[in-house]
Amino acid sequence: MSINKWIDGLNISGKPDEWEVKELFRSYNISTPSGELIKPSDEFKGTNLKKPLVVKVCDPEILHKTDIGGVELNVQENLEAVISKMKILFPGSNLLIEEMVPYSGIEFIIGALVDPDFGPAIMVGAGGILTELYKDVKFRLAPITKSEAIRMLKELTVAEILQGYRGSQMDISLLAELIVSIGALVSDLGNDFNQLDMNPVVFFEGKWIALDGMAILK
Amino acid sequence: MNITKELQPLFYPDSVALIGASANPAKVGNRILKVLQKTVKNLYPVHPVDKEVLGLPVINRIEDLPDNISLAVITIAAKYAVGAVRSCAEKGIKVIVIVSGGFGEVGDEGSALEDELREIHDKFGTRMLGPNSLGIFLPETGLDTIFVEHGDKALSGGGGIAFITQSGSVGTEALGLASNAGYGMRAFVGLGNKVDLTETDFLEYFAMDSATNCLAFYSESIDDGKLFLERAREASKKKAVVILKAGRTEAGQTAVSSHTGKLAGSDNVVNGAFRQYGIQRAYDEEEICDASKSLSMLKIPKGNRVAVISAAGGYGVMCTDYIEQKDSRIKLHLAEFSDKTTTKLKEINLPFASANNPVDVTASADDEIYVDTLDTVLNDSGVDIVICLTFFTIPAVTKDLVKKISEKALEYDKPVITFAQYGPFTNKYLKEFYDRGVVAFSSVYRTVRAARFLVERADILKTFGEDDEY
Repeated sequence: MSINKWIDGLNISGKPDEWEVKELFRSYNISTPSGELIKPSDEFKGTNLKKPLVVKVCDPEILHKTDIGGVELNVQENLEAVISKMKILFPGSNLLIEEMVPYSGIEFIIGALVDPDFGPAIMVGAGGILTELYKDVKFRLAPITKSEAIRMLKELTVAEILQGYRGSQMDISLLAELIVSIGALVSDLGNDFNQLDMNPVVFFEGKWIALDGMAILK
Repeated sequence: MNITKELQPLFYPDSVALIGASANPAKVGNRILKVLQKTVKNLYPVHPVDKEVLGLPVINRIEDLPDNISLAVITIAAKYAVGAVRSCAEKGIKVIVIVSGGFGEVGDEGSALEDELREIHDKFGTRMLGPNSLGIFLPETGLDTIFVEHGDKALSGGGGIAFITQSGSVGTEALGLASNAGYGMRAFVGLGNKVDLTETDFLEYFAMDSATNCLAFYSESIDDGKLFLERAREASKKKAVVILKAGRTEAGQTAVSSHTGKLAGSDNVVNGAFRQYGIQRAYDEEEICDASKSLSMLKIPKGNRVAVISAAGGYGVMCTDYIEQKDSRIKLHLAEFSDKTTTKLKEINLPFASANNPVDVTASADDEIYVDTLDTVLNDSGVDIVICLTFFTIPAVTKDLVKKISEKALEYDKPVITFAQYGPFTNKYLKEFYDRGVVAFSSVYRTVRAARFLVERADILKTFGEDDEY
């Protein structure tokens, strides 16, 4: 999928939702949880996804969905009830159903923005909901080489987690490759790009997976 | 045409026209004339009515100047300066330094005048430095358009540092301070409002200049940031590039709704970008001078293991604390001496001295003990950098210690950074170290910080080796 095709195909012009952002991630070989999208008009007819599941409101106007009850975790047999409830809470919004990734270990954030002086820049650091409290993040400009991505990761306070701290097994090389992919993605978006968050990014079964993603275009 | 050729008339002019030459000592045009008079052979003062100034015949109109003048320096008020620049351009003068203020820095009216300067540049291809520029100072030839007191005598010895500054006063004050302890400058360039020549042009020029071994910048805004970084990366493969970047702006003018936008804060992106492109960062005027002086004069270490020699226990401890202090960019370690080194140190030193790192030669040391100790730790293959803290209040130490330590320090392929404090005579000792080719500081903190800059430089050179292509 070319970037232009992706931009032209957006449901709301210039405003990608989480589903669309994850489609973009996947086209750059970035893993996301298996999932499916339910439109407001769709009747839910069951799913082949493996439980437990996550149900999220998927609407580009809603950037911080957790704060307003837009995320339901660990959904088992009550899936239909959860969907009905979400449809009432967010009428007119799409819903995203995804397999829940049973990861352990810390969460990372990968992000990007456009710096007024230097152009597109990439960020990596300690992620999750406390990311703005820790402020353990490093920046580089896009595009970026893999060796530079590794140097960037090694500057983080949490870097030792990636180097076997207390038996942790998280692959620094694969995470660096993910940073390189995001660098390529924002470079390809060029002038259309404004900001991007991939948070959290977690390590599970030998892969880095983007559990959530948002992108703001110009 | 390449930048080296284009800026030849700026740094090595055969003839200079000074527009605004004045007999009035209160005028900038008078002070610059006095300085240029000493070094420029073909100097043409221009003034609309005067017949003579400071004993030199005056030319009344730019049109009447001889042909092929290399460089014009303009000091007259902004509203007249634009016309003078146009006349100089029409006359075929290739490079013009516009010292005059009253342009973009004072508001819209001044900005309109800058637009006129850009038009002249576009039409004639004339290269312009400024306006609102301090101009240049080149110790090698004595060419000097800097009209404020900046310790030019102290800096006239020259050296390897090209110092390029957007703000004139930050540049001159910093160098004034640095010159007290010795500072080796290749050139000083005041950029001013940058209607034409920018930091990127001078970066390119000095990257190719064989007499320059370190580039130091004071920048508030960097024009065409990405291009500057790419050029800096090329320059940094051969010589150190240090920047004091002030005026930390918020990232992004649009509403910040992402975590990334909020975490970019004031200048985290600048930090990352500098690191990525092989640029070292300083945060104030003292640090930029310390860093550039160290990077220009000292050898680049092979590792980060530091040996400390002190004659005062407390200073050794302070120094150790600074070395072990956490820093996300550069790690330093206290070196572990080999058994051979420890044995030798015990032989050289008095029985109550400490033969471990930090070595304490004690207040009973003399010149010989100091120098033999320095020689011994420099010989240890587990030592990459030596910090030597010297004290001249010690009874058996003589003033020859500076000479002896300097000679020993320069024998080896490892950097030796010295510290010296001696009350009101401190600067004299620092300066003597400098004159003998050794870098010395008056505080332990600054001494250790210099070691960090060296190790950071070594890291940068290493990354150039391991990097995949962009």
